[in-house]
Amino acid sequence: MLSTLLTAASLLLVPTLAVFADEAWNVDYHFALLGAPKEETSFFHQPNPSSRASLIYTLSEQHALGAVNPRDGSLVWRQLLSSDGIAYRNSFLRAGEGQDVVISGVGHEVAAWSAADGRLVWSLSTEGPLEDVEILELSDGKETAGAKDAIALSSGANPTVQRIDGASGAVKWQFIIDGSDAPYQLSASSTQIFAILIHKTILGYVKLRVVVLDRVTGHKVDEYSLSSENELSTTENIVSVGANSASPMIAWTDSLYTTLKVNVVGMKSMQSFDIASHDDSPIEHVKVHAPYHVNSLSHFLVHYQTATSHWADVFHINLKNGKVEKAYSLPKLAGRGAFSTSTSDANVYFTRVTRDEITTVSSASHGVLGRWPLNTFGVVAGIGEQVEPIHAASEVSVKGDTVSAIRTTILLSTGDWVMLRDGKGIWNRPEMLASTMVVTFALPADAAALVQQLEVEAHSNPVAAYAHRVQRHLADLQRLPSIIVSLPQQIVKGFLGTSADDLTASDTFGFRQVIVCATREGRLVALDAGSPDKIVWNVNVADLQPGQSWEPYLASRIAGVVEVSSRAGAGIQYNATNGQPLAERLPVVPEGPQVPSSQVVLYTVHDGTLEASYNRTPAWAFTPMHGERLIDMVPRPVNDPVASIGKVLGDRRVLYKYLDSNIALLVTAQDSMGTANIYVLSTVSGAIIYSNVHTGVDLTIPIASIMSENWFAYSFTNEASDEASKGHQLVVGELFESLVPDDRGMMGATTNFSGMQTATEPFVLTQTYQIPEVISKLAVTRTRQGITSRQLLAVLPDSNGIVGIPYGAVDPRRPVNRDPTKDEQAEGLVRYTAVLEFDPKWFLNHQREIVGVKNVFTSPALIESTSLVFAYGLDIFGTRLSPSFSFDILGKDFNKLQMLATVAALAVATFIVAPLVMRKQVDQRWRFL
Amino acid sequence: MDTLKLKKAWELAIAPAKQLPMNAIGMYMTGNSLQIFSIMMVFMLFKTPITAILTMQPTFARFEPGDESKRGSFWLTKIVFIAMNCLALALGIWKVNGMGLLPTTRSDWLAWETAREPLERAYPGPGL
Repeated sequence: MLSTLLTAASLLLVPTLAVFADEAWNVDYHFALLGAPKEETSFFHQPNPSSRASLIYTLSEQHALGAVNPRDGSLVWRQLLSSDGIAYRNSFLRAGEGQDVVISGVGHEVAAWSAADGRLVWSLSTEGPLEDVEILELSDGKETAGAKDAIALSSGANPTVQRIDGASGAVKWQFIIDGSDAPYQLSASSTQIFAILIHKTILGYVKLRVVVLDRVTGHKVDEYSLSSENELSTTENIVSVGANSASPMIAWTDSLYTTLKVNVVGMKSMQSFDIASHDDSPIEHVKVHAPYHVNSLSHFLVHYQTATSHWADVFHINLKNGKVEKAYSLPKLAGRGAFSTSTSDANVYFTRVTRDEITTVSSASHGVLGRWPLNTFGVVAGIGEQVEPIHAASEVSVKGDTVSAIRTTILLSTGDWVMLRDGKGIWNRPEMLASTMVVTFALPADAAALVQQLEVEAHSNPVAAYAHRVQRHLADLQRLPSIIVSLPQQIVKGFLGTSADDLTASDTFGFRQVIVCATREGRLVALDAGSPDKIVWNVNVADLQPGQSWEPYLASRIAGVVEVSSRAGAGIQYNATNGQPLAERLPVVPEGPQVPSSQVVLYTVHDGTLEASYNRTPAWAFTPMHGERLIDMVPRPVNDPVASIGKVLGDRRVLYKYLDSNIALLVTAQDSMGTANIYVLSTVSGAIIYSNVHTGVDLTIPIASIMSENWFAYSFTNEASDEASKGHQLVVGELFESLVPDDRGMMGATTNFSGMQTATEPFVLTQTYQIPEVISKLAVTRTRQGITSRQLLAVLPDSNGIVGIPYGAVDPRRPVNRDPTKDEQAEGLVRYTAVLEFDPKWFLNHQREIVGVKNVFTSPALIESTSLVFAYGLDIFGTRLSPSFSFDILGKDFNKLQMLATVAALAVATFIVAPLVMRKQVDQRWRFL
Repeated sequence: MDTLKLKKAWELAIAPAKQLPMNAIGMYMTGNSLQIFSIMMVFMLFKTPITAILTMQPTFARFEPGDESKRGSFWLTKIVFIAMNCLALALGIWKVNGMGLLPTTRSDWLAWETAREPLERAYPGPGL
């Protein structure tokens, strides 16, 4: 009888699942991020030279190029310049004055993008990696009208300077620099181009070599070395090479930051300035801020930063004789400071952002033109943490002698990118989330308490459970006054929204879990899955120095507590609700419930070999064959509840699933042969229980794999050959104890088994589907008890989406070359077709574009029907999924008003009819008497 | 008089069997799907014979022969009556089985079967 109900239910599931219109934009959320903007590549620029409206352009640490609307912080357009996740050392973004294109340089590619809509105008590959890209601001009559040319410097075997036509991207001339010196940067004046190279002397010091080229012909005009003597030990001490200013200059310091040396490019002399020490703490870095326009005044600002304070000096360059003079100083202030340069006609303005105010000065004099106090940056930070500005970009509008309005974007030490207009926060982009490495979901402690209570009731005898429930309700009565107060509000909300959206009350559905993200910068950032628009907390946990990295591992074993640990380190626990560290420090223990009776095998990847230890002695090792490398290894999740241990067939017999908690899917590749090997291992004994080989695989394209319950799935791309064309394939395999119905296989009904002593092999059914595009990552929905059917989540990097494939659509038991029998139809199996088209309704992102997703994390909600999904990488995307529909919660389609209206109508009818009926009955009695 | 009573009692005993073909046709026509009509018919199919058996004594009391010698065959009518009602019940059970409501297959007991407990557990170490 149960099976009939099950088959009836499964019939209901066959219609494909979809994102409902009323759920789109409502249960899902998306942050279109760029990543932390880099100082040199973030600026205001007018995309349309005839209009004054400007956009903020940035090329971020993640090599995402984008334009942000300064009014609301929304993304206008975005291009990912390094999709394969390679971190290039240098990246450049330049915008010529009055140009409607921005020119980027990342890796080996120089590209011009339309500033208004981000379309590619042209692109050019260079032989070596790019060292610098600049725009030739001053016209020499050789350009195509309206487009300024670009120059690029690339290193590699043949360091080259190239002049690129601004309109077409064609190379006008190129000059190969001789010698073994490393190219460093480019500068241009009105007649000449200066290539600055780093020459290493025998003593290990660095000398600057300048090669002067003719702008028009690209021929070498001159070459000289700057005798920096023995003071320049590394390139890190070169603080600036100004490029496109009226008088480009090079500035460097000695390693102790005691003197600043400035050379105006083109002059062979240099000037030194003593750096006055204002502070006990040593100077940490020196930065030069100079205007980026040829027709602005040749003034520049030098910013000195110590651990506790900062100050700055402003210098003027005399254009006639190349003399540099110190004009004035900006006083020392506590904390970190950020300076930005803006221009208005020829005038140059420096804006200083400190912890508590923004001030603007003109480069000509030290008089403050505008001062705006800052109370707060409006971002969430750890308790006691001082939010500091890291770098800023400003746009000033000047009326007379005062700055009438100022817009400043600031990257803060918390990783937020904020916009301030006249010192007031306008928007805030949580760019730190773009560098999320790992995430976990933590149930808030109050939600978990109810779950625990319910579990106690479920596991005790009926009388005790009843007593417990009465006690719980009595305890709940204490909250009655507060509930009564909020009741009117809740009723109103209930009318307007739905029960599922009522997030004011405590979260009984488990939708409001805390999502904790560990970022590459060593911070923990928490979001609320129920109201993801704001950051709940943001703390610095790793305190990484520049150049350091960490490998965080997050877990939430106890409700309300998140534990973070770096590789092989001790874990620190944090309160999931407010991010406060808890006092106890716990050692790292493997995830999941500890079964005392079971023996623990630990396995890890070491030098491309999978090694396992049992009781601290090596148990087994899986070494790939010669020439093979381990690509991926996916174990079955430690906590993977399965409701039914068998599959009920249409004729009510059972196919038993091969359910072993200790299995893992391994993918290895043999690059020389172009083959991919798939293994399913028993992680206790190391035995291979299933293997498969695919030949002709394009190994440059990612192979995604997943393992869950008793099935696995992987996708790969096969190379074009004589027999087959290039295509993407998805393979799904399901493991059974026996293919004979009602048979539990070799072990029969034994209740426990040892993976080391008994070797059982599952019977595996696999099916391959041709899919339309590459899958870069696979994930699967998880629910609390595993009753709900599964959805396979596939990240599609080419269409910037995530697709949720119902398991029924890829079931390996779909009948091949014949129509399904009646029994198979009852199971919901349809005839196998080799091509699996992604139904548009399967796309979880609907209209959104989700760029750069690296991983998808799923977590069960408290109600069985729902699984929470969180995708991260560059963008952040999250949603709730109900693969078997929301069978345990009222959806939005439930019409509360109609229900209440029906009840009310019935009540009214009863009231009207009751006296009539009463009178009739009385009348009848009289008549009978 | 007793002979007449006995004859009437026999008629009563055979009566459920006369309804069997009609019931069988009715059951066949309603199909094996779970619908309100078929459920009601199956319910009636069970209710009628059971109430008939339970109220057998009052039903047959009218035909109780006074003669001791006829007692034996009167008992026989009662037994035949029970048997006929059991036939009707059997028809009901056949129908319920056809509807898949009898827990006769492995899948009906699947919920009470548990997965095998592994004696060892393998965990990915740090970094995996």
